Amino acid sequence: MENTNLQRGFGISLICIGLLLLLSGCQGADEKPVTEMATVLPQAKKMTDFQLINYGAENFSNDSTKGQWSLFFFGYTRCPDVCPTELYMLAELIRRIEENPSSLAQAPQVVFVSVDPQQDKPQALRDYAQFYHPSILGVTGQQSVVDQLTRTMGAFYERVYHLNGEILVFNVEDGVPQGLENSYLINHSATIFLLNPDGDLHAIFSSPHDPDVMLRDLAAIQSAWN
Amino acid sequence: MKTRFMRAAGAVLLMLTPFSVTAGGLQVTDPWVRTAPPNAPALAAFMKLENHTGTELSIVDARTTLAVDHIELHRTTMVDGIMKMTPQTAIPVAAHSTTLLKPGSWHIMLISPQKVPLSGESVELTLILSDGSEQKVIAIVRKGKMMMND
Repeated sequence: MENTNLQRGFGISLICIGLLLLLSGCQGADEKPVTEMATVLPQAKKMTDFQLINYGAENFSNDSTKGQWSLFFFGYTRCPDVCPTELYMLAELIRRIEENPSSLAQAPQVVFVSVDPQQDKPQALRDYAQFYHPSILGVTGQQSVVDQLTRTMGAFYERVYHLNGEILVFNVEDGVPQGLENSYLINHSATIFLLNPDGDLHAIFSSPHDPDVMLRDLAAIQSAWN
Repeated sequence: MKTRFMRAAGAVLLMLTPFSVTAGGLQVTDPWVRTAPPNAPALAAFMKLENHTGTELSIVDARTTLAVDHIELHRTTMVDGIMKMTPQTAIPVAAHSTTLLKPGSWHIMLISPQKVPLSGESVELTLILSDGSEQKVIAIVRKGKMMMND
């Protein structure tokens, strides 16, 4: 009899533990932010070490992304179409946060990374980025560092050379035929990457972007952030 | 002072009046150049092209009074999430249809401007068409639209 009670008690305990686990699981699911456009990574991704040049300031490295949210966009200043469009959109996002500071727990820093350090010198890049909004950082660095960063984040770019209507793709490190060195355009992803205050990749915003939607998604992500 | 006033008044007038010019059956509406940083290596010009003829027309080249290194015709497309910008030999406008030059799509690229024009200023462009005719348009410099889908 005693044995049966013990078994029953054990069974009830197991059910309770199961329910608790189930409930805690449900709670976890509820905490996942509901976003309209952003894809939140199931687990934030650690960034590899990087060190970029932020003209007139300290180097821009992993440490520069710690303790605050960061939005990264990759492009180049000779891009007359996609990059200005995205930079205008990001500037608009910043202005909306400035106008309504309570819309977010914390305003993110916006970082424009040039994938074209051959052409984009640090000072010119800073001036270029600040035209769109004084708080936008324009950073770049050694091509190998930029390449490593794009790979880690999942950004993509390729230099495309045009010769007599023909499209050629070369790896810069493998060398480019003489005379073609500067005759390239860069195809690139228009994704915006969100790093959390731990400096880890937290979410991605695929193109096209809308500042109102991004603002709502950022608020949802930040409020779910522990 | 007077010149500055006249320039400002002209800019306001241009902003208030959607620019539209038709020649040889091609109507050009609302030509504009997107504002850019003073050190921008390239500018983009956009406009609406309407072909009121029964034959396809194309822009095959363009000139500008703005001091630039050269002009190219371009189209941005998104392929598998990658934005690709490709030089074009022509910007076609099919018979009785419209081609919109807009951010994220067709545009005229002004490369290496000596001086980037300011918002409110105007840029004179001459469009060279496939039938050999030319069309002069005045593009107002203004802030870019945010969305690629505009």
